[in-house]
Amino acid sequence: MAFFAQKDFFDDPALIELVTNIMAGNLTLGWYDVDTPRMRAVPADPARGLTYADCNLGSYGYDAIPELVRNRSSMAARGSVLVPDLPDIGYTVNRKSDVWAPCVPALYEEAKARRWAPAVDVPWAELKGGHDDPLRETAMAQLCTLLEEIALVAMEAPGRWVFWINQEFLELKSLLCAQMFDEARHVEACRKRALVGGRGLGRASVTAEHALKEILCAETYPEASLGSNLLLGSFVLAMYRALAALAATRADRLLATLSMQDVARSVAYGIGQAEYHLAHQPAKVDAFGAYLDRIEHTMLGIVGSAEFLEPLVLLAGGGDGPDAVERGTRFARRWLAATCEDYFARCRRTGLGDRRDRSRLGRVLGELTG
Amino acid sequence: MAVGFPSRAFFEALQAEMRRERERFSRLGYFDTVFGVRVLDDARTPLACTLAFEVFDCVEVRDGIDPGAVDFVVEGPLEGWKAMLDTIHRLGAADTTHSLNTLTHFGETLQVRSDDPIGHDKLYRFAESMQAFFDLSARVDFTYPDGTRPPAARGAA
Amino acid sequence: MSYLSPVDYTEDRDFLDRLQRRLRGDLDLSWMHVDTEKVACTAQNERRGLTFRDLDVGSYGYSALPEVIRHNRSFAPRGAALPPGLPDLQAEVNRTSEVWAYNIEGYYEEAMTRQWNATTDIPWADLAGAELPEDIGKAYAQLLTFLTEVEMIATDVPAKWMGRLAADFFEVKNFIATQAMDEARHAEIFRKRALSTGYGLMRASRHNEWNLKFLRDADSFAEASLSLHLQAEGMVLTLFRFSEYVSPTEADKKLFRLVMQDEARHVGYGMQHLKWVLDHHPERREIIHQHLDEAENFVFGAGYATEVMEPFIILAGKGTKKEQIAEGVRIQQMFQQKQSEEYFDRLAKCGLPERRERSRLWKILDLTLRQQAA
Repeated sequence: MAFFAQKDFFDDPALIELVTNIMAGNLTLGWYDVDTPRMRAVPADPARGLTYADCNLGSYGYDAIPELVRNRSSMAARGSVLVPDLPDIGYTVNRKSDVWAPCVPALYEEAKARRWAPAVDVPWAELKGGHDDPLRETAMAQLCTLLEEIALVAMEAPGRWVFWINQEFLELKSLLCAQMFDEARHVEACRKRALVGGRGLGRASVTAEHALKEILCAETYPEASLGSNLLLGSFVLAMYRALAALAATRADRLLATLSMQDVARSVAYGIGQAEYHLAHQPAKVDAFGAYLDRIEHTMLGIVGSAEFLEPLVLLAGGGDGPDAVERGTRFARRWLAATCEDYFARCRRTGLGDRRDRSRLGRVLGELTG
Repeated sequence: MAVGFPSRAFFEALQAEMRRERERFSRLGYFDTVFGVRVLDDARTPLACTLAFEVFDCVEVRDGIDPGAVDFVVEGPLEGWKAMLDTIHRLGAADTTHSLNTLTHFGETLQVRSDDPIGHDKLYRFAESMQAFFDLSARVDFTYPDGTRPPAARGAA
Repeated sequence: MSYLSPVDYTEDRDFLDRLQRRLRGDLDLSWMHVDTEKVACTAQNERRGLTFRDLDVGSYGYSALPEVIRHNRSFAPRGAALPPGLPDLQAEVNRTSEVWAYNIEGYYEEAMTRQWNATTDIPWADLAGAELPEDIGKAYAQLLTFLTEVEMIATDVPAKWMGRLAADFFEVKNFIATQAMDEARHAEIFRKRALSTGYGLMRASRHNEWNLKFLRDADSFAEASLSLHLQAEGMVLTLFRFSEYVSPTEADKKLFRLVMQDEARHVGYGMQHLKWVLDHHPERREIIHQHLDEAENFVFGAGYATEVMEPFIILAGKGTKKEQIAEGVRIQQMFQQKQSEEYFDRLAKCGLPERRERSRLWKILDLTLRQQAA
């Protein structure tokens, strides 16, 4: 046990006296007249319900969070009155522009509204008995094995940080919870898909796992978000998009489309956070650029892995004969090129400038995809 | 009475069908995007319409597209749109080969244009709601510019 | 310090050569011939859909989990083929009994399908017009301030541990993710309700903040779960049930019923985890008692949290007049008694019936009950 109370309350006469007095009807009411603003949050749009945007009022609102949170180190609710002798909970992420994006409250609301449950929202019965094409089913099972690996890491990425982020950033922490929830859903959905088709799980990917570990182990939260939401998110979004486009069944299309929706939200947050971070800490643009210079190679470790690329080729080509493989590799080259371009467009949006000329990933993919 | 595709009336018909399916669209979640649809036709002036979605509703259908006011534009030749709509009419919903996602995937059939990646990515964030919206055309009686109709629903007499 | 992959994939000649060959159609396809179990899982109950329980098959299933995870230190999904060279996840928790709980898969599926939305599932527009008398409004806003303050501890603590568990425990990780979402929703709804009363937020709770630190700083997942899920959330569950009873409006009653559903699930996990530990590792009994000794110290010290007890008294008695406070005190005492009894009952059901004998909290409660009876 690491932490102990300041006293043994069972041996505290003052406590006994206090409680005895209260139980005798003598309330202290020390909290009754606290001086906090009287405001009433109401839904701006009744159809939408009461959102966090509706609660963005005065000192309660997220707009009121200062850039540096110096004097609130407990879990006291933002806007509540602090009392002396509150503990230092131990937060290490206390700077707004390290975590915030203006889209955070809206994305959190969207994540809740657009929830789905793999157990019941994917028509699994359609996949009963497996696909009549064993090759296709094996490829699908392998892809889903890799996607389950990715989702396990993507679930942990926000989990690593939420413990350390100041409670003042409630909406952001809530969005990170929604991200964890989304990725748990993807772990579940991809595992179920792999195990429903008669082939079982495939092979874990050495290159992808090392790549994912490098992304997961970012040293700072802004880098963690950049790496997992913007960089990894861009490629995973494209993976699900491709899976939906190549789906042979409604079940697979739905699984991939619903997963894609979730990942797109993470990407939106990643763009927004990087943009906000750079707007408030412009000196960080070089550091961000250098970080991406170093870490972009990990995408190649994932999308260039046999465990991702070869199943994609087989699914896209429709088989393993020469003509099918030719179709499939053409699809894969186009996919790599288009995904990389989309990623660069997102980077430009954040204020990182055009990475096409400096990115080793871009150079290599350009050479490989001709 | 049949509406024409492409036309504003067509999308207004979808809007009306969406109101009837409020429960279903509520379950899909907030649908907050404004996008343009452009149908290119060599023989005619392209149709350009803007569709605005908010919360669970299509709140506006208007003529024209103001690039600064939309998240993205989905455009393509009439034949590309027909491919999706014919499938929807025949099957009740787009199959995987003719979904909006597949048809726009590499931009070979339909293209997605946007100046802003955040706007563009709303195509992905609301993908299932968008598809569900277009799938409502299965219930709409419409004709193409040459007077033809989409195929009858499978199993229909 | 960050981790660096042993290979830079944009520079490694071998990797790039293989990739280039692949993109030209020279496929390896060795992944197609891995020796993993061939299964075709199906939904046992079509109405329930395909659940984790349906995947409890062969080497993929949780029933096959050994006590110690020795073979997989990577992110590889349980049952996948493990090629040489996978990275080490650096998991600190590799014993099943540290994390497992009976029915964990059921709790997860339930959580996934029973998500409600604080934004839309409460009739906020109706509440906007519901004026509460000042004493009730302030008391309620203070209670809500306390609740929104403490809820996220049950996000932070499990999330802290998620990345430290071996990947083979993904059902537990997934459950943690659902709990994180549940608690974010609770913090949200209590905050929103406080801000919709017109009274805003009130005072932070010093004693409970120190209790939160105790919960955060647990040494092990098992300790964290014991004090968080079973003790803290168990007592909060009773509080939610009484809060429904004392709620000022019908919409508030609905609010507490909804949060109660989630909380009961978390408590269920805590109970089933403790049962599993005691069933499989009875030698941990004394450590568990020691941890509960300190947890109960905090419980008893909650008498200092007048910003929690007093609003409850006012709400229960429906006002601040002398006779209303007397009624509120009566209900408060009933609540405390019920809260403690339920806590000890849960421990007994989990295999710790001797807790009452050991507990100073129980002794004081018992003494109080005897005095009242006399």
